Amino acid sequence: MPDGSYAHPQQRQFNPYTENGGTILAIAGADFTVIAGDTRQSEGYSIQTRYAPKVFRLTDRAVLAVNGFAADGNMFVKKVKQRLEWYRHAHAKDMPLRAIARLIQTMLYAQRFFPYYVYNILGGIEEDGSGAVYSFDPVGSYEREACRAAGAAQSLVQPFLDNQIYFKNQQLPPGQTRPLHLSLSDVLSIVIDSFTSATERHIEVGDGLEIYVVLAKGRGPQGLEAVRGAQELTTNAEGDRVFIVRRELKKD
Amino acid sequence: MNSFVSRFASTGHDVELRKAREAFGDEDESLEMWGSQAGFGPLSKGVPSFSVPAVPDPSAFLRLHTDDHADPSCRIKIKHGTTTLAFRFRGGVIVAVDSRATAGSYIASGTVKKVIEINPYLLGTMAGGAADCQYWETYLGIQCRLHELRNRERISVSAASKYLSNLVYSYKGMGLSMGTMICGWDKTGPAVFYVDSDGTRLKGDVFSVGSGSTFAYGVLDQGYHWDLTDEEAQELGRRSIYAAGHRDAYSGNTINLYHVKEDGWKFIGNYDVSEMHYEGPAGVGYGYEIRTAGKSSANPPPEPESQTAQT
Amino acid sequence: MDISFALTGKGYVIVAADTTAAHSIIKVKLDEDKIKTLSPHLLMAYTGEPGDTVQFAEYIERNIRLYQIRNIYALRPPSAASWIRRSLADSLRSRKPYSVNLLLGGYDTSTHTPHLYWIDYLGTLASVPFAAHGYGSYFALSLLDRYHDPEASLEEGLATLRRCIDEVSKRLIVSPGKYKVKVVDKDGVRELDF
Repeated sequence: MPDGSYAHPQQRQFNPYTENGGTILAIAGADFTVIAGDTRQSEGYSIQTRYAPKVFRLTDRAVLAVNGFAADGNMFVKKVKQRLEWYRHAHAKDMPLRAIARLIQTMLYAQRFFPYYVYNILGGIEEDGSGAVYSFDPVGSYEREACRAAGAAQSLVQPFLDNQIYFKNQQLPPGQTRPLHLSLSDVLSIVIDSFTSATERHIEVGDGLEIYVVLAKGRGPQGLEAVRGAQELTTNAEGDRVFIVRRELKKD
Repeated sequence: MNSFVSRFASTGHDVELRKAREAFGDEDESLEMWGSQAGFGPLSKGVPSFSVPAVPDPSAFLRLHTDDHADPSCRIKIKHGTTTLAFRFRGGVIVAVDSRATAGSYIASGTVKKVIEINPYLLGTMAGGAADCQYWETYLGIQCRLHELRNRERISVSAASKYLSNLVYSYKGMGLSMGTMICGWDKTGPAVFYVDSDGTRLKGDVFSVGSGSTFAYGVLDQGYHWDLTDEEAQELGRRSIYAAGHRDAYSGNTINLYHVKEDGWKFIGNYDVSEMHYEGPAGVGYGYEIRTAGKSSANPPPEPESQTAQT
Repeated sequence: MDISFALTGKGYVIVAADTTAAHSIIKVKLDEDKIKTLSPHLLMAYTGEPGDTVQFAEYIERNIRLYQIRNIYALRPPSAASWIRRSLADSLRSRKPYSVNLLLGGYDTSTHTPHLYWIDYLGTLASVPFAAHGYGSYFALSLLDRYHDPEASLEEGLATLRRCIDEVSKRLIVSPGKYKVKVVDKDGVRELDF
């Protein structure tokens, strides 16, 4: 019609979701946690940008990795950060990690009938000083684990992690027991290998790698001093500390 | 008192917050959200509100984008596939579950806690949507505690399950997916109630829920009677979940076993399904091939007496 | 909706099938025999698409008989299973395939060994110690994993079959009322009162 209206009823599909690729992972150690994600953002076969961070520092002891639909992910991180800031103003301290995990559950579940299409992995240090990883589904079911991969290459990375972190299907030499926790340098090597391998075999993974390392209060930086280009992001030197390590990944 | 003061104050953080909310017209956040109540603040004052897409049929929208068995192309995979069971017997209630979560054919997790510890006397099981069960059974825990504080008495299993049943029924048709057993011990003794998102609520002795439930029933029914000893009952629960883990591809990994008695529930243990297959809980494997190793159905006639040299 | 079970024991195979013939929501017949005796030591339970089942079973029955007439000796169970499977596989690739699921139980008199084969309409063949077709399999297989004994006496074997039938009657909504039970052992085929 001339006025822009329609003569007949129109029906359209409302599809507010897409998938932006990439992969995230987190591994907890005895007194540290490593949270990492690649920086490629794509839709289908086109790469939208080679640097779109998927991992975010929430507090000095909590880091959140978000994967799935980038717009929802960014919005969600923004809202989580806002709620944590309100908490800081009300209580003059940072929210404990397990409380952040529960907060994320309720925030995701509040969208139960219009979900955020995001897979979250929360990593950091608990109040008892132990490393912890919490993984979430899009509507908020969560679980504390020692390691978790999510996103496009999760089915490539998770079996590797199961083998290297949980020693699944490994026959140890007689008399040798498996270590309860891995060292930070071992974990960092595993993380970097996971991403270089995922980049080799998955088209949606690549470009750059951002690795966040959260160290428990009082723990020295052993395992990190040999790492090239580690940069500290900690705001309060008295508590837990956060570092970021950046690496290049293949760009084809 | 504090809320009274703050309502009329012209300075302070919550005033700033109120102003900000007015300015941005943000209706998602309520005042309680900002406090220390872990996001459950508004829940104590009634059922929380959910944001709903602005489409004519919100549940059709949800169905389109979340995991539906008929449509593997939809984006949001909600974890499915489970075997859970609970049964009542002379010695209390046995609750046994597997720990596998699947998204399509991918095993999303092998360490899921499908028994939700509502409080020291109440357990809930998880089948269907993991988030639906986790969230609403946590919420049920809050309501049970409030009941305790208001009435100076623990809530009955019947009342707790009815609370949950009425709650999920109010969301009927919106796309919730849960099949749960609420188990506990109250004044009436051991009790098991089956509650699902259709609004069904059933009192009973033996229930199994999930994709592997038929396999669990097969073993459970044949071994069940009221006068089981504690050890026999625990073994039956464990053996039944093993059977489902063995026969149903969507179930497996590990078994979590709980026993509810008069003084509340007790976690009995976590058992690897593969270990149960080969070694069992006490050195004798559950596996058919392990159990029947060396046996043969061949039935050759007895050898005729061999001719020995005779004098 | 058809249900069939079979299990081996010490020197025998028990084959059981329900006896209902259904049409829409109606039970048309309550005592239909769905187990054919193919040779002196071979039983076949058949379920599936009405029409196809009996047509296919009779075709198999006649051809197994023809082989026996021509060669004096009947096919031994493994060979019979292979030939039946191939017949189904060829049928599947024809213009009008048979939709028939089979349980083939036989006793090999030369090796004194009972044999049981699970065969579906796609031509999948598996040699198994116990088997089930239809909805009954969802309840019975876990139970058989638990209770089946390859060296069980006939009485013990029938007790295990009783567990399967009881479980299906207890849990399955559309459970059939009656079953026909046949056994094959060194003495040949016979029907049992059950």
